Amino acid sequence: MRDTVITTETIADPKTHYGDAKASTRHFITQRLTGAINIAFLLLLLFVVVRLAGQDRADVVGLLSNWFVGIPFAGLIAIAAIHMRNGMRDTLEDYLAGSLYRLAMLLNTLFCLAVALLGAGAVLKIVFWG
Amino acid sequence: MSVRARPTSPHLQIYRWTVTMAMSIIHRATGIANYGGMALLAIWLVAAAIGQDALTSVNYIYGSWFGQLVLFGFTWSLVHHMCGGLRHFVWDFAVMMEPGQRDRMAWATLVASVVITLLIWTVFVWMA
Repeated sequence: MRDTVITTETIADPKTHYGDAKASTRHFITQRLTGAINIAFLLLLLFVVVRLAGQDRADVVGLLSNWFVGIPFAGLIAIAAIHMRNGMRDTLEDYLAGSLYRLAMLLNTLFCLAVALLGAGAVLKIVFWG
Repeated sequence: MSVRARPTSPHLQIYRWTVTMAMSIIHRATGIANYGGMALLAIWLVAAAIGQDALTSVNYIYGSWFGQLVLFGFTWSLVHHMCGGLRHFVWDFAVMMEPGQRDRMAWATLVASVVITLLIWTVFVWMA
């Protein structure tokens, strides 16, 4: 998780306990939990897209302003963004290190934050203000 | 003089491809594709929140042949990543890891993702 230099000696010595045990376990559990929730997200996404693909704004507002659709949809988009950030972290850790990794992680966080705020924000705007 | 075959170097280009290896790579690739694809969803929703004109523009782009091609690919990417995720849930219980089992499950994710994607598009797009 955290960016530290891991040498062969570190790996060979079981007493070193290299890596961040707490953060890595949290990362694992978060990814499984959000992944499971994403199944519900995909089902709701399918429902919403099938109903609204290519439709006019009035139809979009008509469906999403229903609290039982709009509120869960916004929440699930935000949870999907957490899964995105976690998953992209795995990829970045595999290929980058040092300041380049930290820069990529910053961009990753910003992108996922943008998707969550704009996606869920747009849905909530439609729910509460039409 | 006969010489015993030497072990080959695990270089990427001469690595023997296995279905589990291919599905592992595709799981990451579809994850990255979904990452980008979520921006398409956000753009659509933001356009709907802004107004009819913005939504009409986005609908025009997404409804074009290229837009539909991208959305078809995005559908498969999402479904395949979900199937791959379900496979990981199975593995979390330390089962289905033996040779044969893991390969069948890897093929199953690929077949399931293609079938489910075609089913979604057939029922909700092509026949709708």
